[in-house]
Amino acid sequence: MKMPYERRKSLYGYGFIAIWAVGTVLWFLKPLIESLCYCFMDNATLKPDTGGMNKVWLGSVGQSWLTNFKFAFAADPEYKQKLIAVLKDTAITTPMILIFSLFIAVILNQEFKGRGFARAIFFLPVIIATGPVYNIINGDIASTGADSGAQFSTLFETDIVDELLEFLGVMNISDTLSSYINTVTTNIFGLVWSSGIQILIFLAALQNIPVSAKEAASMEGATSWEYFWKITLPYVSPMILANFIYTVIDSFTKSDNVVMARVLAKQLDWDYAYAAAMAWAYFAIVMVVVGIIVSIVNRFIFYEVE
Amino acid sequence: MDNEKNLTPEEITGAAETAAEAVPETAEAAAEPVKKSLSDPDHPVAKYVPDCAKPDVHEEHEVGEGMSPKEAMKIRMRNMNKEEIAYLRRKRIFEKCWPVFRFLILFGLGFVILTPLMFMISYAFRENQDMNDPTVMWIPRHLTLRIMKQTIDAMGLTNTENNPLINTLILNIGCSICQVVTCAITGYGFARFKFKGRNLLFGIVILQILVPTQIISIPLYSTFRNFLFGSVNLIDNMLVMYLPALTANGIRAGLMIFIFRQFFRGLPKELEDAAYLDGCGPFKTFIQVMVPNAASSFLTVFLFSIVWYWNDFYVASAFFTNKKTISLVLKNLDGTLNIAIFNNANANVSAREKIVWLEAACLISITPMLILYACLQKHFTEGIERSGLVG
Repeated sequence: MKMPYERRKSLYGYGFIAIWAVGTVLWFLKPLIESLCYCFMDNATLKPDTGGMNKVWLGSVGQSWLTNFKFAFAADPEYKQKLIAVLKDTAITTPMILIFSLFIAVILNQEFKGRGFARAIFFLPVIIATGPVYNIINGDIASTGADSGAQFSTLFETDIVDELLEFLGVMNISDTLSSYINTVTTNIFGLVWSSGIQILIFLAALQNIPVSAKEAASMEGATSWEYFWKITLPYVSPMILANFIYTVIDSFTKSDNVVMARVLAKQLDWDYAYAAAMAWAYFAIVMVVVGIIVSIVNRFIFYEVE
Repeated sequence: MDNEKNLTPEEITGAAETAAEAVPETAEAAAEPVKKSLSDPDHPVAKYVPDCAKPDVHEEHEVGEGMSPKEAMKIRMRNMNKEEIAYLRRKRIFEKCWPVFRFLILFGLGFVILTPLMFMISYAFRENQDMNDPTVMWIPRHLTLRIMKQTIDAMGLTNTENNPLINTLILNIGCSICQVVTCAITGYGFARFKFKGRNLLFGIVILQILVPTQIISIPLYSTFRNFLFGSVNLIDNMLVMYLPALTANGIRAGLMIFIFRQFFRGLPKELEDAAYLDGCGPFKTFIQVMVPNAASSFLTVFLFSIVWYWNDFYVASAFFTNKKTISLVLKNLDGTLNIAIFNNANANVSAREKIVWLEAACLISITPMLILYACLQKHFTEGIERSGLVG
């Protein structure tokens, strides 16, 4: 063969990703673009027809291009309110999950008896929490929800925390703070159950901290507190960002996401254009917020130079 | 903004102070086996220790053998100032208290994780009238397998046709194998070959991780409904799961490609170079050299793939109308149980009693995953740590 080595190798590269490329065009890019187009098509005519969808652009029937989005935000009775609730919920729980999972990962990284057992328990949610079982054990099942849900959650929702806060006089300091604390404590179940993968990733990052850094810190007489802020946090900071993104994406596919449930309900009503507009609006809002946060946080992150 | 990397001057002086506190301790520890006093100029750490911090010890016998740790500590403390003693005391108290707190935290949270499981086990094996008995909390009064049997029947696990368990297993194992193989090949392509547009294409992989399935499911439905230009209807056919898995586009395929790419990038380049020199083509190199090295990574991704396919209900509910999988049955559990058990005129079951069947169904559906996890727990966790996902 006369082809230069580099060229040949790059051709082999295309060969290795060829299978994926075919699949991506068929099962990812094409549907993605189509679904984006659906947002700008007439909902009334966008129905399955023999040989595909019956597509009519909004512009061609003399309607505004943003009709579907207008419908989602202004006319739909549930979407806007559910969207706000989900966004708020994501904004509150994501930092909590990150802090919590880092805390647990630091603990599980220490040496103590029964560590293997403790790890096994804390990673258990990894295999269960992505499935519909989580919904049921979280007390959220569709119709009997009120009974089983209330029954189950009384196990966890005690008023001890409230009383403690009141006793300490913390209640009077700030309503937002105490309501935040309240969310954390009443939602400890959801928190523990949704941080399995995050703990795993943080733990892997913690084990990658070079021994030399640990030794240097202990020679300098660093306390555990200083060690956490000066060594642990910088080393795991890239993974904080990765975990942040993972947590946000994970919230899309969680089975208790009400916005996605609304989208699915619209699909079942054959309102494909509305459903597409709702899903894209949600996705776009979240991605813009994530993009802004990532670009800001990225400056403060310590990347080890290799 | 690199305050994390470089210490400020105040911190350096602070560090020097703490160093002065800490060094005598470590120096002493080192001195004991060597049996050299710190005052001895030959001592390996002596030059790092300021004179004032050196212990007041000149004879060998004063340090080391025959001395209880308490006495040694006393001698050490003799030369320390108040701050150093306070530091040591704080450290000692912390080291004593922390394990207790750690145990409490881990025990409490572990309890939160295990409660649903205990709950399921406790509820699934009791008669439904136990639910109305206020004295029964965790330990059932009437142990029975009746509820389990009824639930298994209601879920259709004993059916010969369209059995959810068999459907799930066929989908699960087959798709996972296809997906792991194709994702590994793709990941290797991204990790080790330079070609035009590689970064752009990898950007698409990232996009695949980001975009939720819900967005692409409608057009995908119409693609499958009118497959091959409308000639074939693939809805309810297992191919709707197999085709994407075969082309590295199944459930969470983007994440798997990403993991494999990170892993293959971490392997030494010399491995392949040796194979190339021996005349292996890239594909042969991949199979004979890289795959054996990636065995543990393969297993981890395979296990996660099994779990994800087992738990998936979204893709299944979008493309299956009659075909049942375990998670679909579980998602529609209420309806299923209503038709199979509660619609009976003699049933007369209160909502509270229904919990028994619900918990039984949950237990049945997660048992295979629990067994898998119990047997292969190491590969779930250590695989991620070793796969180089981090770094």
